[in-house]
Parts: sequence; structure tokens; C-alpha cells
Amino acid sequence: MSATPDFIPLPPADAKESIICCEYCPVACGYKVYTWDLGTQGGPAADDNALGVDFPSGLLSGKWVSQNMHTTTIVDGELKNVIVIPDGDSTVVNVGGTHSVRGGALAKKLYNPNGLTNDRFLYPMLRVRGNLVPISWEAAIDLVARLSQYTLDNFDELAWGMKIYSYQFYENVYVASKLALGDIGSPNYSPHHAPADGDDVPGLSDCGIDAFSAAFEDDKEADVLFIAGSDPYETKTVRFTTWQQPGGAKIIYVDPRKTFTAAYAEANGGIHLQLMPGTDTCLYNAIAREIIDQGWEDSEFVAANAASRSELDQEGKWRRQMFGLSFDEYRDYLFSSDDFTLQGAERETGVPADKIRAAAEMMTGGAGERPKTTVLFEKGVYWSHNYENTAAIGSMAVLIGSSGRPGRAISRMGGHQRGGQKGAGYPMDKSPHEYKGNKVEMDTERWFAEGKTRFRWVVGTNWIGAMGSARALAAKAEELTSVGPPVTSTDPDIAFEELTARMDNGGTVIVHQEIYENDSTPFADIILAAGAWGEDNYARNNAERRLRLYEKISDPPGEAKPDWQIFAAVGRAMGFEGYDWADTNEIFEEAAPRSSGGRRDYLALVEKAQADGVRGHDLLRTFGNTGLQTPLSLEGGELVETVRRHADLKFNSDSGKANFVLADWEAVKERNAIVGPVGDELWVTNGRVNALWNNLSDFVRRRISQDRWPMNFLEISPNDANARGVVSGDLLSIESDNVIDQLGNKTTGGFTAVAYVSDIVPDGVTYSYFLYPGQPANSVTPGDSNLQPINLRYNFKLGKGRIKKIGTTDLAETMSFAPRNLVPG
Amino acid sequence: MSNMTRREFVFLGAATGAVLAAGAALPLAILARDSEGTTTGAAVFFPEQRIASLSELETAVPVMFDYPFEGQGSMLVKLGQPVPNGVGPDQDIVAFSRICTHMGCDVVEYQADHHVLGPCPCHFSTFDLIHGGQVVLGQATQNLPQILLSVDGDAINANAVVGLVYGYANTLDQGVNA
Repeated sequence: MSATPDFIPLPPADAKESIICCEYCPVACGYKVYTWDLGTQGGPAADDNALGVDFPSGLLSGKWVSQNMHTTTIVDGELKNVIVIPDGDSTVVNVGGTHSVRGGALAKKLYNPNGLTNDRFLYPMLRVRGNLVPISWEAAIDLVARLSQYTLDNFDELAWGMKIYSYQFYENVYVASKLALGDIGSPNYSPHHAPADGDDVPGLSDCGIDAFSAAFEDDKEADVLFIAGSDPYETKTVRFTTWQQPGGAKIIYVDPRKTFTAAYAEANGGIHLQLMPGTDTCLYNAIAREIIDQGWEDSEFVAANAASRSELDQEGKWRRQMFGLSFDEYRDYLFSSDDFTLQGAERETGVPADKIRAAAEMMTGGAGERPKTTVLFEKGVYWSHNYENTAAIGSMAVLIGSSGRPGRAISRMGGHQRGGQKGAGYPMDKSPHEYKGNKVEMDTERWFAEGKTRFRWVVGTNWIGAMGSARALAAKAEELTSVGPPVTSTDPDIAFEELTARMDNGGTVIVHQEIYENDSTPFADIILAAGAWGEDNYARNNAERRLRLYEKISDPPGEAKPDWQIFAAVGRAMGFEGYDWADTNEIFEEAAPRSSGGRRDYLALVEKAQADGVRGHDLLRTFGNTGLQTPLSLEGGELVETVRRHADLKFNSDSGKANFVLADWEAVKERNAIVGPVGDELWVTNGRVNALWNNLSDFVRRRISQDRWPMNFLEISPNDANARGVVSGDLLSIESDNVIDQLGNKTTGGFTAVAYVSDIVPDGVTYSYFLYPGQPANSVTPGDSNLQPINLRYNFKLGKGRIKKIGTTDLAETMSFAPRNLVPG
Repeated sequence: MSNMTRREFVFLGAATGAVLAAGAALPLAILARDSEGTTTGAAVFFPEQRIASLSELETAVPVMFDYPFEGQGSMLVKLGQPVPNGVGPDQDIVAFSRICTHMGCDVVEYQADHHVLGPCPCHFSTFDLIHGGQVVLGQATQNLPQILLSVDGDAINANAVVGLVYGYANTLDQGVNA
């Protein structure tokens, strides 16, 4: 506890101003950064501070600096004052400078040698006899390059793996994937959130609809918002508070939990469809059946835009051929099962029949005027049953004409921002995995668990905790990195011999490129100290395809390097051509042609920049925090944005039509029987909460977050708590003997958490943070992608466990256990 | 002032010509508060101001007042259960700023069942008054500033502010309003 008085130094009028967007959720609010010398500050009069306002600043001004918006960090070798404040001048996204609790404290993310972020990795390290010791960059790059080459020479490309964030800026992802997928040519490449590369919402894609087709203004334009599997107030905050709630749409909210948005929906004329975990497919199919039964579908849209059987037969993509349905076939499927009647769906999903019917009527207008309905969804839908749920919700949207029109869209809301601009195509032909004779992106975690990955480069993720069956995966990592004797020397040549001996004996070498230690670091042989947000100039899209420049605030601390520089150095050391960029702008410009034709297409921006004789990043900078909505095109020398996709009612299919897609509820039921609770187990589902984000690398170093959530929690209903003698503040063990691991075997998993007794969850269902350090909820979720063979994804939301009180804590003295779903009364 | 015995005092000096709701005297001292604006610690002392009477105060019925400056809306409430910073015979009387530390809206809805203030009418932040104004759910990046109280006979007095009030850059400085 520091003895700091309650004041914030204001940036003087001549403080350096930069722009940057938030690091966290896919809304990506715009921020301004002010940097200035220590020992100086501005004054409260508008002329005397860089914000240009009189202090105290006014209600809703977007110009107040809270204590969490200020820090000190090292800029050009000197400790400087920095304020990161929501852009009060913003006219898009976070209009007027509103913000979430996450972004509002972005300053506390920056490296502060005197603060809670001072444990950043500062130099590369090698594990020698169990201890991480600093080594030079020359030695580290040489080792990674030689170990990579050794893997390719003595095994094959599939033995060389990279596990990497999918979002951490175009420039970094481009270079990493150019190296891994291109020059090295390995399919053993997967994002931070899934065992395999590829589409996360394949059912929606097979409908022909872009996963991020909507604009935020569609949320405001809509009369009805159908929101499933993610609480927008908690996790896409500004989208809710700026675009959804002020628009006044009635909200149909689908979630097993009665979250804030569920309560808000019910209090404002909407409906909460409180389904049991794993039953989305049945619910959406039942809503669609009721709509068709009543004749409430948008028959004009369907007739004009839905593909016929003959058009489907000509589709080139195997999934669409296999699962695509004409309207008649879709209708016949929906009417083939009693489970899709109102009563059958109530039985299967737990949602009362009258609410299902009311939802069908609300989203279509019933016999009255058709409302503008937008359908939004996220991980509760696609990390439950991936293919079927995304097919069911996508087909339902096509049925009611929700795509491509103002206020009438279907989109993911997004989990993180969109930075996945790849530098090479996925080498699908090399993938060892297939579904019914069709190649699918390889399950890299299964491959790892089978001991076939001899070298794995883990970049910017708490890999172990982020995967299903995390405890078993950790045990496997421990086993594979313990084969043979440890590295005994800091001499790179000796270390190389010892690490390759491990590979030869069936073990695995792990390189971890990170900014902080996390739960996956203990398995790493080599640490590559990386840069982060604000430590170079980068570009990224948000969930409405808004491309902005994220300006550099400071250098990476110590000897840490921006990720792209590390990948490029290894590429050069391996003898590959084309890794000689001087800065991130050169990468941004080189990557532009690869974005062409897709959602991120910014080639027109780079072409215009080159025509104007300026750099691509610099042209993007001129658009400030407003940025540009991609895909972009050039008309008469001017950039033209895309507000929403499919506005021309052309869809992403060979026919250009939208498709209905089979959402096979019987397959889902069989899977639920395998993964669901057994005996006295309860569902242990998981996700984010308002004040935390992802693996908490920032948030365990942020006091306001740690005061609120000092450890992982388990929401448990009052009845389930009483039955176990549990009260809020008790310490719980959550254990299951029925977790399915990466190899399809039954194993154990578990974690601990503090009890948060709340009726936010129904009886039989509990909820926890998905990736709390040391307490990963994914220990009790399935790790077997064979359960979802179409697309090799995990059923992340379908954990289960026995809940047992193992003691008490004193957390109730400092941590609130008040209800988190109170809405204005 | 028995409720402040666990606090650390740091003398900082006088403020810059502030006009106080309580009168013209200058604040006395500052007590340490975490630099990230969370619970416990920091207080800036201002002249004592009588807020309410013990004999008239009812459980769960808030008393609204401005402190220390005019326009700095605050509320006092008898929670009905003892809390670390509570005063009065039951150690359950607390006071907080009502100005939301997200974007400055006036949070007036006290929900006695849960001892929370909120949701804020603007962006729905809710604050736990048992836990030092901690954000239960919401977008504020600081706890609600707490008003430290003392009891003198029947009088419940405000003495100090813990935390930076929305809009201000300095608890001691009334800014261009001065």
C-alpha cells in the first residue's frame, strides 16, 4: 500500500498525444494517450491541460482521469507520466468517451518498473537444471532456429508446432504465420482458443454469412435483439451501453444464467430464454419450427435469397454439400422430431413453451408488422456444440431475413479483436485429420498428447489452461518435457545437444514467447521475452470490421522485443528470404494483398497510400480512432468503406445465395450424454466476467480487479449451496472423474474456487471464470475434439464436477458477494 | 475518531483556496490510499460537518448531503450490520459519494436488501457499501469515495473523504470552480 494522495497529475498542454484502441474486448473503444515528463503537470484550466477542459470536468464529459488511467512507464529510456483515457471526442464505437472497467484501466497494463507490472520478462531465458537463466538474444534465436531445423530434418513438418494468439495484431500474426504455415509449412498450427486452426462458427459460415457482418449501428436500428451465449453488458460493455440499450430494442436473451442483460431484458419488455447447457440447437430449431408453423417466416426473403436443392448440389465446399438444406428440407427436418414442438423443446431445454412461442412472435412480429430483428451470439453458442449450434442459429436468422439489412443482421459479437491477418495459407493437404474423407485442420493438442510434436513454440497464450481437459494436458506436458536428463549448461551448443536428445527419445521441447510467466511457463525450455500492446505500431479490426492504428506508447521493457522481430530473426536464422522488414508499416503494406477479397480487405488503403506517396500506417493514422470499416475499395481515388456485409444480398457461397444448414439435434443429444454431469456432478460452465479478461495477465496485476476477484469463483444456486452446506466465501473443490482428455480417455480434472451463492445460476448449473491463473475451469471441460469431428473444436462450456466445501476463506471481509444482476428498478 | 485508528496519516498541507460546503476552513491532512483508487487508506480531512442525528436515523433510509464541496453529492446510511468503517453504537453507519466514478452520474438508488448503491442510471455500475464502495458490477474504475464519519453525542459528523471524486483531479483542489 503506497502513501499516494488522491490526485491525478494532469497532462500539460504540450504533452505528446497518441491514439490507441483498447487491448481487450472486440468492441475496441478508442483511447487517447498523453505522455509527458515526470515532475511537470498541467493545470485545471482548459488552456493549461492537454485535455482542453476545465477541471472538475463535467458529467458524461469523457474527460475525467481516474486514478486507474494514469501510470508511469519508460519511454525512450526515461520514466514518463502516461495517461490512457477514453477518447472523449470519439464519434464511433465509444461515442463521447464512454468505456468499460477493463479499458478504463488500460494505463495499468503498461510496464511500470515501480508498479505491479514490473515482473515482465526482460530478456530471453533458458531453463538449466530447472531454473530459468538469462541468455542472449543471439543464443536464443540461434537455439530456436537450430531446434526448428533439427525437427524438420529428423522428423517432419508435423512435428514442428506453433500455438499462437489469433488476434495480436496483423503485423505479428502475419510474420508468425508466414514462417509457420508458409516457409516451414506445418499444419501443426492452432490459435490460442482452439485445438485446430480454422473456422469457429462453421455452421453460420455454411449459411453463407460472414461472422462479423453487422455494424454496431444495426444494434441501435433493430427493434428486437436476439442475443445468445454472451452477456453484452459484462463482456462487450460499450456495445451494450452505447448501441444496444439506448436503441431501445426489446431483447430476447438466451443464456443458462440470469445475468445483468437477462434481467435487463425482462425488465424492459424482453424475454430471457433460460436454457440448460448444451441445448441451444433444440431451442433454435424449435423457435424456427414455431415460426414456420405460424407462417411468420420472411417468405419473401427466403424465396429470393435461400439456395435451392439444385444450387446446393453445385456447391464446391464439402460441408455445404453435406449439410446444406433447401427451405423445404429445413422445414421437413424441423417437423421430423417431437423435440422441436413447443412442449418437446420445453422438455429438452428447460425453457417454458410459452416463452419459446413468445420469442418466435416477438422476433417476427407474429401476425403484425415485421420488426427489424438482429441476431447476435458468441461463445455460449459455439463453444457448447460448435457446428450444430452455429448452423441452427444461422438458419433461424435466414428464416426471418436477418442478414445484410439495417437493423436486420446476424453476427458474432466476438471474444477478442480481429488481428488474424495470415501470411500464408493453411497447408490443409498435410493435415493428418479428416472427417468422412474430407481434410480438416489438424487437432494440434491431440497430436501433442500423442507425443508427435517434438518442438512447440507457444506464443502469447496460457496454452495449458486455455485448452479442454487442462489438468491432463499439463500432465502430458510435464511428461514430454521430462524425457531424459534436463539441460545442464548455458552453453547453447550443449543445450542444443541435450534438447535434441530429448526429441530423439520421444520428448518435446517447448519455447514460450510471452510477456509474463503464466501456468504454461513451467513447461518451457526457452523463454522469449516479448513486447505487447502499445509497444510498437500495429493495426487491428474490431467486431464491426473497423480498422484502426494502435500507436506505440513505449518500448518493450528491458531487452524484450516485439513479436514480429522475434519471428523474423528466427526466419532469417533458418535461411528464409523475406524477413527483413524495417518496421511494422512494411509488414502492414506487404500483408495488404493477402487481405484482399475478405472481411479485412484493406488493400485499397495501401494502394491509396502508395498513390499519395505516404506510408500505409500513416494514412490509417489520419482516420484517428474513427478508422475505416473494411472491406475497403477505391472509387474515384477515394476510399469506400463497408458498413455491413451482404448489403447487396450476395452471400458467401458458390451460388451467392444464403443456405439453411442441418443442425443435427440427435448428434448433440448423444454428445450431451457423454459430456454431461454424472451422479452428483453439476454442470460447471464458464466464461468471462465484467472486470476480468482472458488469461488475466494484466488483471492479476491490477489492484481493482484483484480486490474484486482475488481468486476464481463458482456461482452456485442457493439450493445447490444449501444441499452442500456451502455459503458465499467458502472454498470449494470442483472435481470430476469423468473428464475426457485429448486422446479420448476418461480422466480426472478439477480446480478450486470461492463460493459465490447466487440465483444468477439455476439449480444444477454452476459458473466459473474460464481461465483464472492456478484455477483453470478448463480442467473439467472435455479435451476431445473427436466429440465434434466436423470441425475439431472443444465443448468448452460443458464442464461438470462434484462441488465440495473444503474450508472457509476470509474473502467476505474484502470481496463483495452482492448480486451481479441488479437492474434499474 | 476511533474508526480511523487503523489508518496511516500523511500530512500534505493546505489546499488551494477551496470553498467548502462546511465553511471556509482548510483541510488538515491526508491519509494514505492506494494509488489505484481501491479500498482502505486515503483520507483528506475537511472541517467537520454535521450530517445526521443518531436518534433520528432509521436503518436503510439514506440521508443525502453534499460534502466536502457543494455539488459533491453524498449519502449516509445505517446499513443494519456492522462494517469495518461503520460508526455509531452498531458500527453500521457509513457514507459515500454518490457521484459515479465511471462518468459522473448521480447514483441514488440504495438497495437495502443487498447494501448496494446502484445501479447507476447511466451505465449501471453498482457499488457495495459493506465493502468500501467496491464495484459489484459495472464500468467504474474506482470504488466510490467514502466519507469518513465520527459520532459526537447525537451528532453524526463528516470529517474526511477517502478517494478521488469524479470530475476532480485533486481531492484538495476545487479546480476552476474555486
